[in-house]
Amino acid sequence: ASSGKEGKGWKKFQSYKGEGALPAEVDRLRIVIDRKAQTVILPIHGFAVPFHINTIKNASKNDEGDFTYLRINFQTPGQLAGKKEDTPFEDPEATFIRSVSYRSPDGHRLDNIVKHINDLKKEANKREQQKKEMAD
Amino acid sequence: MSGGIYQFEKIYHGLTAESGKMRVAAAGVAWKATDSEKVAYVQAEDLKWAQWLRVARDFQLRLGLRDHRKEKFDGFTREDHDKVANVLKTHFAITLETREGAFKGWNWGVTDFQGQELAFIVSDKTAFELSLADVANSNIAGKTEVSLEFTPQNVSKGAPKNMGDELTEIRFYVPGNITKLKGPSSDA
Repeated sequence: ASSGKEGKGWKKFQSYKGEGALPAEVDRLRIVIDRKAQTVILPIHGFAVPFHINTIKNASKNDEGDFTYLRINFQTPGQLAGKKEDTPFEDPEATFIRSVSYRSPDGHRLDNIVKHINDLKKEANKREQQKKEMAD
Repeated sequence: MSGGIYQFEKIYHGLTAESGKMRVAAAGVAWKATDSEKVAYVQAEDLKWAQWLRVARDFQLRLGLRDHRKEKFDGFTREDHDKVANVLKTHFAITLETREGAFKGWNWGVTDFQGQELAFIVSDKTAFELSLADVANSNIAGKTEVSLEFTPQNVSKGAPKNMGDELTEIRFYVPGNITKLKGPSSDA
């Protein structure tokens, strides 16, 4: 997605400069979407962990019994069809989070989260596309 | 200044959903849940170190014990820091050490085994930690992918409406060499 042809270099992005910028509602230990920061904040073992939309590939969900499962796939090296040298990663040798799965009895809320993540992704892709066109 | 008792409200013990009161006195640290009989104690003589870090429920006070266990208490506010630092110093001669968190929003970093925990470090700062004790199953796929599955904490039905979202699985991509993610106790 963001692996455009406009440059081989990795473009720097960042969700927050410090903890003070985290939205207050992360204290509920639920997934929070911060549209302004283009960031999805995931509860991981009591931590509130931001992931910039540029790191996210897609989100999906499925219902199983009493629970709804949400899966978020991340951008990582080794999964692009294209040439390796075009891979825009700051450190392709690092350890990457490739996916996370969550569950909740509240399927409606997870539905919304999936929708919001994918909308955020679409907007980011669109901006990227516009930048490319401007550069041409 | 001895004999002072300090109290902190709305503090969580570990990852529990219920909050309670923490009291710190010369004898040690005690926590009691507000709506149940749950308690936690740390005796002064067992206390070795203390850390302060940002977590989801505001700030965490992490106490390191003589037997290498850790007790974690969440729910402290930023303003509590000085009070906590003072009381630890006064009663136990322990310095509260601040541990920086990572908030860049990156999904790449370094994994580091710290006792029973797997830490994910981004730019030398901790993004999160996973408890290996909670790992129900782990898998290695295609030499570059490791997945960790977690035991669900909340069983079906009766789950409280206000419960958090439960992480059930996380997958890591480890380029080149899977042994990078392998620690002494990672064969769970």
